[in-house]
Amino acid sequence: MLEISIEKTIGNFKLQSNFKSDKGVLGILGSSGCGKSVTLKCISGLKVPDKGFVKLNGKELFNSWNSINIPPRERNIGYVFQNYALFPHLNVYHNISYGVQHLDKATRHKKVMEMISKMQLDGYEKHCPSQLSGGQQQRVALARTLITEPELLLLDEPFSALDSQVKFILENELLSVLKKNYAGIALLVTHNIEEAYRLSDRILIMSKGKSLQIGNKDEIISHPTSIEAAVISGCKNLFEVEVLGEEDEFLRIKSKGLVLRASKNISDYQPKMLAGIQAHHIRLMPYYIDKSNSFECEIIDKIEGIFLITVIVNCLGNTLLVEVSKDDYLNLANNDSKKFWIEIPEEKVLLMDIKQ
Amino acid sequence: MDNINLFPLYLSFRVAFTATLISLICGLPIAYYLCRKQGRLSDFIDTLTNLPVVLPPTVLGYYLLVLIGRQSWLGKFLEEQFDIMLVFTPTGAIIASTVVAIPYLIRASKAALSEINEDYLNAARLLGRSELNIFVTIMIPIAWRGIISGVTMSFARALGDFGATLMVAGSIPFKTLTMPIAIYNALLAGNYQMANFLALIMTSVAVIVLYTVNRLEKKMKKG
Repeated sequence: MLEISIEKTIGNFKLQSNFKSDKGVLGILGSSGCGKSVTLKCISGLKVPDKGFVKLNGKELFNSWNSINIPPRERNIGYVFQNYALFPHLNVYHNISYGVQHLDKATRHKKVMEMISKMQLDGYEKHCPSQLSGGQQQRVALARTLITEPELLLLDEPFSALDSQVKFILENELLSVLKKNYAGIALLVTHNIEEAYRLSDRILIMSKGKSLQIGNKDEIISHPTSIEAAVISGCKNLFEVEVLGEEDEFLRIKSKGLVLRASKNISDYQPKMLAGIQAHHIRLMPYYIDKSNSFECEIIDKIEGIFLITVIVNCLGNTLLVEVSKDDYLNLANNDSKKFWIEIPEEKVLLMDIKQ
Repeated sequence: MDNINLFPLYLSFRVAFTATLISLICGLPIAYYLCRKQGRLSDFIDTLTNLPVVLPPTVLGYYLLVLIGRQSWLGKFLEEQFDIMLVFTPTGAIIASTVVAIPYLIRASKAALSEINEDYLNAARLLGRSELNIFVTIMIPIAWRGIISGVTMSFARALGDFGATLMVAGSIPFKTLTMPIAIYNALLAGNYQMANFLALIMTSVAVIVLYTVNRLEKKMKKG
């Protein structure tokens, strides 16, 4: 179990991070400069927090009140850096054995060779890091860290420097290597929601130096509790609404001319709230269907992606983004009808407090 | 060849080698300190170590005389307690050359050491190594080209020193007469053969040093 609660001020930036994590991969998600990497550095002891504590498996690694600050070399934490930081002057064998010099020669050699074969690096012992492919470098970095049997593994944007093709393969590789060889707590820092979703079990959302929300990855995506969390988890339609009142199981909300029904997914509500709708949850159709949240709209513009098209529509004074697949869009465009309708599923409308 | 006296050549190389070795031993820890610490004290030390580059060698020599001359506290102490005299001895020449040469070593090493990606050092820290251990196993091996380039530069500088050595060690034939001073003396005496010979050696050393430094710096950039 990892428990942290830390504060650190660097210039104008203030980091306030507190969360707990148990075994499994926790993805720390946030835009660049939100304090993700600083959080990892504070946990590992490479940076010293101003205030707070870091506790790993019951052992205090840092506590500002009791003046405890165990140096990084004694924390037993594994760290995989953005560009792997393999020692350029040492070959694969010596990179991997760097962290186990305290063992006697025979044991050390046995452990290193075991690690090399586990990571499928056989035959590369004498290669320099610069002679290796991205995937091999990643495996050496993992081997170098895992051989020290860390209690906590920190992964700092391990894929940010790679292009998307290689990235996908390496993500898979990392997942399988971790599953096979590591059973402890892992933290993975990333600014990419897809990457966080694919690689982690739970997700922590950070914004402007604060940890906002932590939870199961599906819950984070479907129920962000704040506007920042909604934006980071990929919600593209966010607007202020007036809550008109309850109606059966639903809330009636109003934004300009648009009056919607929304699921009551919050216990209490204010007169003014924020509504969020994921762009791919809105349906765009060339005909009217008789459903409660169905409205006529006007297509303003479209942004073409590789597989998806983001259509910008105006619906009773509100600008909404709707994501449709390319095929669906072609069907729409080929339709004779010059009128379009959108349908917003009630249960997909998220309500959040404005002040956060 | 009768006019050529090889003693200055021998003495100069001995002085320069020793001065370079001392520069390396003292300069490397200073460079390490300067690249690690950023504060008023380290800025002050940085300025101090670069002073010999800017000051005229005669001024430097004068300060050294004030510091280690026979009238100085240190000079008196050494002479009275151990019967050691530093001025007008080869040891004095070594001290003068070291002071002149050490800034080049510190500067080049500091640049090379501070260029090392902090992640390497952090990785080593998390793999359980102490700072001193990291300096020896990671920093020096990665920065060795920069350090060697500093060593060659300071060797060249130590070999060629004229002013400071003259002030501190004088120009006693067969005792403290180094090459640059011997060239000057030879010219004064009209011994062109000697002057040409020594000048040729100095020039060759300079060319070799500059070429080596250039090659190393190019390779360092390539990584």
